[in-house]
Amino acid sequence: MAGRGKLIAVIGDEDTCTGFLLGGVGELNKNRKPNFLVVEKDTSITEIEETFKSFLARDDIGIILINQFIAEMIRHAIDAHMQSIPAVLEIPSKEHPYDASKDSILRRAKGMFSAEDFR
Amino acid sequence: MKEDVSLRLDQCLLRFMDQLELLEEKREKLNSLIEQGWFCISKARYAMGNKQVSALQYSNEIVPQVCVHVRRVSNGEMEFGTERMDRGPSEDTTNTPRQVEEVGPVDEGVRRRKTTTAKDSKAQSNASVKPVAEEEASVNKGSPGHQDPLKWFGILVPQSLKQAQSAFSQVIELSAEVAALQTAVLVTRKELQTLMEEKHKAAQGKEKGKGS
Repeated sequence: MAGRGKLIAVIGDEDTCTGFLLGGVGELNKNRKPNFLVVEKDTSITEIEETFKSFLARDDIGIILINQFIAEMIRHAIDAHMQSIPAVLEIPSKEHPYDASKDSILRRAKGMFSAEDFR
Repeated sequence: MKEDVSLRLDQCLLRFMDQLELLEEKREKLNSLIEQGWFCISKARYAMGNKQVSALQYSNEIVPQVCVHVRRVSNGEMEFGTERMDRGPSEDTTNTPRQVEEVGPVDEGVRRRKTTTAKDSKAQSNASVKPVAEEEASVNKGSPGHQDPLKWFGILVPQSLKQAQSAFSQVIELSAEVAALQTAVLVTRKELQTLMEEKHKAAQGKEKGKGS
């Protein structure tokens, strides 16, 4: 694992996962654990959060791609993640276009321009 | 002292703005490429059938073909670079001859009629089983470790699915660049905050000096 670099994990709807898997990011490891989660209508928020946390805990994952509407469901977990590895990227989904004002990174960057900083 | 901090703060702020601008630009490109990929998947689904392009078609054995190399740069920023892994010797067309895929049923050759005695037939069946087993083993050895994900959806897939694959491959490369930019933005933000604190302290020290 050390020699070949890190993986890209995906948490998204079916089309997003299919697309990224077509691109070649998918992996099923020796324990048959995938590095992706297809979120369907009946997928619970707990399951999404647990998967996200398990991806954060894995040291072979470098980037986590997550649909923004799913990121909204587990915003607290994403905001709590302060490390630079794995990097969390919020991407749009078919039904929900990307909204920069919801992105946790941009919100953090925007937060520094509060009135308090310019006193 | 204060002027020096202000100058550094200005430079840092300009760098921060540049990074944000670049991030927005790359984000826009990333989003449009993802949209293009979805459109191609939808077209492929229209051509192949509603249930032919879904999570049900994913292979049982998925091997990654792209990996990310992460490197820490001196000032705390991270560099993310994607790399496509080798597709294994069996898919290398230049050096080794391509293995021809057999589509029909695999027959062991000419079959004999059951005209011999029971003992003979037992011996024959043992003899015929061995080569088949060996053959299977050799086929398994030759099978590619890295299967193209396109083949999960069939042998003859529509062009639109190939276009979707290339769009998402570009998205993966771009996402590494966006990830690097995101970390750069956060590092610059931290730097800005420390510079601001320094400036506040310097200003407070000056005021105290004037007051006394």
